[in-house]
Amino acid sequence: MLRNLLFFIKEAFLSTKKNGIMSFATIVSLIATLLIVGLFLIISLNIDNILSDIESQLVAIVYLSDSATEEEVNEIIQNAIETEGVKEVKYISKEDAFQKLKSDLSEHEEILAGITENPLPASLEITVTDTAYLEEISFNLNQFEKIDEVNYGGQLTKNLLLILNLVRRSGLAIIYILVFISILLMVSVIKISVHSRYEEIEIMALVGATSWFIRWPFIIEGFLKGLLSSLAASFIVSRGYLYYMEKIKLSIPFINIILDNQILLRVSVILILLGVFIGIFGSIISLRKISFGEL
Amino acid sequence: MFHVFKVFPNKIHALSDINIHIKKGEFVFLVGPTGAGKTTFLKLIYRGILPTKGQVIVDGVNLARLKKSLVPYLRREIGVVFQDFKLLYDRNVFENVAFSLRVVGNKNSVIKQKVNEILNIIGLFHKRNTNPHLLSGGEQQKLCIARAVVTHPLILITDEPTGNLDPETSWDIMQLLFKINIWGTTVIVASHDKLIGDKAQKRVIRIEGGKVASDTKKGIYSL
Repeated sequence: MLRNLLFFIKEAFLSTKKNGIMSFATIVSLIATLLIVGLFLIISLNIDNILSDIESQLVAIVYLSDSATEEEVNEIIQNAIETEGVKEVKYISKEDAFQKLKSDLSEHEEILAGITENPLPASLEITVTDTAYLEEISFNLNQFEKIDEVNYGGQLTKNLLLILNLVRRSGLAIIYILVFISILLMVSVIKISVHSRYEEIEIMALVGATSWFIRWPFIIEGFLKGLLSSLAASFIVSRGYLYYMEKIKLSIPFINIILDNQILLRVSVILILLGVFIGIFGSIISLRKISFGEL
Repeated sequence: MFHVFKVFPNKIHALSDINIHIKKGEFVFLVGPTGAGKTTFLKLIYRGILPTKGQVIVDGVNLARLKKSLVPYLRREIGVVFQDFKLLYDRNVFENVAFSLRVVGNKNSVIKQKVNEILNIIGLFHKRNTNPHLLSGGEQQKLCIARAVVTHPLILITDEPTGNLDPETSWDIMQLLFKINIWGTTVIVASHDKLIGDKAQKRVIRIEGGKVASDTKKGIYSL
């Protein structure tokens, strides 16, 4: 088996060498394609990150009327806890809210100078298991007489989520299209390779090589081209990402960009798997129609 | 072959109602004018093509019933030599012969021994590192024969092995084929070379217009 493998690899290299310019062109275009795929992957992963960040921050704030008694507040809390989709209910008293405001504005104490009476209402902070529940929960709580207002970010958040999701989905669509194109590219390249080695194939078939034995060198050729291209692409993507993101993070600090090796590792693994898949799958498709049984 | 017919998709009747039995170890000339169906006849034997009708039985195996995946194993028992050589010109003499052993999964040490042995027999050992381009026509044909018989096939099929060669070299090639036949390999030679057919004094099957025109033991080849 090892002996055969060595033979296959040798033949694959021979074939790559025989079609030098074509092989080079393939690898370059595969690298370019995989670079774009990598770019969209990174954007997509970052959007994922931002989305989950936003979603985890999404809470419904329930402002309680000042006239609500302790019993009424407890009833509202009890009701909220029992509602489907509610993860946690946190009570913030008038005093807590005022303290928080004070500490938030500690650098601008003059704003609070004229305020003698606490103007802030007591509130409930409701965290949900899924943002989809927010609308329903706020609608239900609005039924209570002693609740002044329920605020959950509303339309603005909804729109933001929609746009980000759209960007992510289009990114994925583009990735699918690019992968499809790369497979087509691989198919034509391996077909050219098969034609340029027609004599070898004919002789192999005549002296009794099995059709899989004939196919393996081409599959390995596709595999090697895919592997080489994806290694180069993931290297470029990693370097480029670290370089540019560092800069972006410095100029736009509030964007939550993932800046660790975890994401690069993920993208690289995906790119390499993709490259290898494109190489092998493309070869198999282009070899499928060639019948080695009949000459 | 029993009642073999071959009709190509373009409706040309290449062979019709061929009945031939070739015994193990026989040496047979297959003669006839160009386009008579000689090559089709040969292709049927190594299952390059299947008959439209009738049965082709090689070494007890009915080729029509042979699974496609088993065709390679049939081919390992049949050596084929073509008029146009079909050598690999990006490999040297040794590698060309070794190729047919390698693709059926032989060990390197076995390949080396067998290839050197056969190159010695055909007299090309001293040119084992030469590119086939640099060989003469006769030498290239010998190399093809070496590649075909290095696997010790049961049957050797040669299609116009002397087609491009001068009479002297042709006879040289025939001598080599006789030698291979004596070792026990069935040899089938398709040829339109009159002189060789006459000189050889072997069984001659004459095909004309896709039919067997004559089948003579130690026959004289005549057109």
